[in-house]
Amino acid sequence: MSFDSTRQSGDRSAAQQRFLSLFLRSEREIFRYVAVLVPNVADAEDIVQQTAIVLWEKFDAYDPNQPFTPWACRFALNKAKQWIERRQRWQALLDKGLAEELAQRREELRLELEVRLKHLEGCLNKLPDEQRSLVEGYYYRRDSIEKLAETSSRTVAATYKTLQRVRQALQGCIENAAKPEGAVQ
Amino acid sequence: MNLAFPSPEFDLAVAAVCHGSATDEQVRALNELLRSHPAARDEYILRLELHSRLASAPDLFASEAADPIPSPKNILPLEPARRVPQSSWLLALAACVALLLTGAWWVNRTEPGARQGDTSKAVAMLNRVADAVWQQPGENPRLGAPLEPGWLRLKSGLVQIVFYSGARLVMEGPAELQLVSPGEVVCLGGRLIAEVPPPAKGFRVRTPRMTVTDLGTVFGVDVGARETELHVFKGSVEFQSPASSAKQSMLEGQGAIGDGTSADRLVPASRSRFASLFDLQNKSSEAEVLRHEQWRAASRRLDEDPTLLVHFDFESVDPSDWRLANASRRKDAMQDAAIVGCQWTEGRWPDKRALEFRGMSDRVRLEVAGDYTALTLAAWVRVQGLDRQINSLFMSDGFEAGTVHWSVRQDGVLALTAIGTEPREFQINTSPPALRIDQFGLWIHLAVVVNGDSKQVVHYLNGVPVSEHALKIAPPFRIGVAELGNWNARGFPKNDPFMIRNFSGAMDDFCLFSRALSGEEIRGLYSVGKPQPESARQSRN
Repeated sequence: MSFDSTRQSGDRSAAQQRFLSLFLRSEREIFRYVAVLVPNVADAEDIVQQTAIVLWEKFDAYDPNQPFTPWACRFALNKAKQWIERRQRWQALLDKGLAEELAQRREELRLELEVRLKHLEGCLNKLPDEQRSLVEGYYYRRDSIEKLAETSSRTVAATYKTLQRVRQALQGCIENAAKPEGAVQ
Repeated sequence: MNLAFPSPEFDLAVAAVCHGSATDEQVRALNELLRSHPAARDEYILRLELHSRLASAPDLFASEAADPIPSPKNILPLEPARRVPQSSWLLALAACVALLLTGAWWVNRTEPGARQGDTSKAVAMLNRVADAVWQQPGENPRLGAPLEPGWLRLKSGLVQIVFYSGARLVMEGPAELQLVSPGEVVCLGGRLIAEVPPPAKGFRVRTPRMTVTDLGTVFGVDVGARETELHVFKGSVEFQSPASSAKQSMLEGQGAIGDGTSADRLVPASRSRFASLFDLQNKSSEAEVLRHEQWRAASRRLDEDPTLLVHFDFESVDPSDWRLANASRRKDAMQDAAIVGCQWTEGRWPDKRALEFRGMSDRVRLEVAGDYTALTLAAWVRVQGLDRQINSLFMSDGFEAGTVHWSVRQDGVLALTAIGTEPREFQINTSPPALRIDQFGLWIHLAVVVNGDSKQVVHYLNGVPVSEHALKIAPPFRIGVAELGNWNARGFPKNDPFMIRNFSGAMDDFCLFSRALSGEEIRGLYSVGKPQPESARQSRN
């Protein structure tokens, strides 16, 4: 249904307000849902952006009694699949039903992921300064890898490698922290 | 290629997927492994989740990013950024959604109550305004206030924002700006110029039709309803528009106009189009001079009030003189006061003087004659810190019958002690914590009314009553020998930890009335004296 033919302008802005409020609340979760399929940040953001446009177009069909995020994630999955279809490499990665399997398994693991990731902030704060500033540059300031390589006097390959190691360190830290009190390592 | 799990090759392949650099071979091998090996699949999901969390939760970093800055608590929250686009927006929905998206991690991050401890998420401060009228009718950002990520909506006038990264931005209303981080803003409409010193290089301005990344420069951006213009006045920038996904660079003297669909048109940079923004410095000082004059005129009228026993306006003083004259007509109530120590400093406006209290001996001593049924004390102060358990604003010496002690406690509580005639008879009237750390360094108006007729004490902060108390000490009240910004204990036990009560901060106006001012009158004192008008438009009406 096309929005401009069916909604009066007053309704339209009220609907838009509702939509934005729902969408903004769910946006990070939609991003993470997409990122399990297409983890590259810029690409995942692209997909979420395209999803947002579809969601708005379909917003008339949204039942406000239902939670918004799962509804939105259905469209996000479709958008991600369309996006993947046009990119051979991603297609090869998610081929033979792996996309659906990952999305579904992630749902099943949600609680467990939450338990671990709630320690992320604490673990980030424990990183040595240099590692911390690399993570911050890559994920927070979204600096290009070339710039990060330059500022840390590393090669691009070494910078990627360091990022990988820092994530490993963070993962070790959150898993340790998520163990019940007194558990033996 | 076959991947084993766990193995360094698996680690490498997962990392490559995250970075978008995986080879055909790696992705095929991963697909094979993940479909056949549940533990590898779960591990893969956890790693990707960690990665996507890092990319989508800037609040993980924000507290650290703002760390070099002193961490005030209860920073002025900007209006939560749950913005509602107007209907004209609908046409540009794609652009709008795209924009919301790219900046939206930030949107929900400053939920009230989510803040813990004394951490600050502020990214910038408001450091200059001229005729600024804000859209938010309620809490307008105050001059000098730290700004957290969120929306600033300026109806008209000019403001200057200094980011913690060092970038400076002058914006002219009507404008809508979202502060995203110390290095990034989103502008939905309005004109701005950005001046970016080398340490802030990379500062980004995103608009619906263009993203501008600074490469060390001064540039102007004009975001209109249909087009966005970019003008580079110094250095160079990099910009990207939806029409062409490639980044383009632009040098000094060049400009571009983008409408989001067709290719950008190149134009010469026009400094004159941004003249009013470059002129902010002049404008803001003119506005400050005007404001000071308005206050001075109101003060002269106030001085005619016969119940105004003491008025220090801290103006027309010779800095070498230790005397402080009473500006009110009631010279009979008080002769000149004596300044002990203290420094002269700038007051609410650049050409306004203020007296600064820093050391333990800094004080102004005065003596006020007479007995009164009611008293009102009011002062404009800039609190530097609440260093003592009790920080004196104005206190009669010692602990004499009928006198009062007016102070701010270390926790921001406003206190008025009234001392009775019986030994050990006194009443301390304390407000809930009223003064917040984020108000340190800002000019604030404090007042307290002690009303012996209605048996009531009321504390005010910035013209608003913060607490009311039933007064149990009976009049008459008197001042006798007293001090501003300090206290002379006069034989009070020497080992009392509350003995040292020197104030740390500046004062640029002090009034003592021999009657109870109404709430309306206190609000009047505040609104005529506050450093910047609530809204330039209202004050002209």
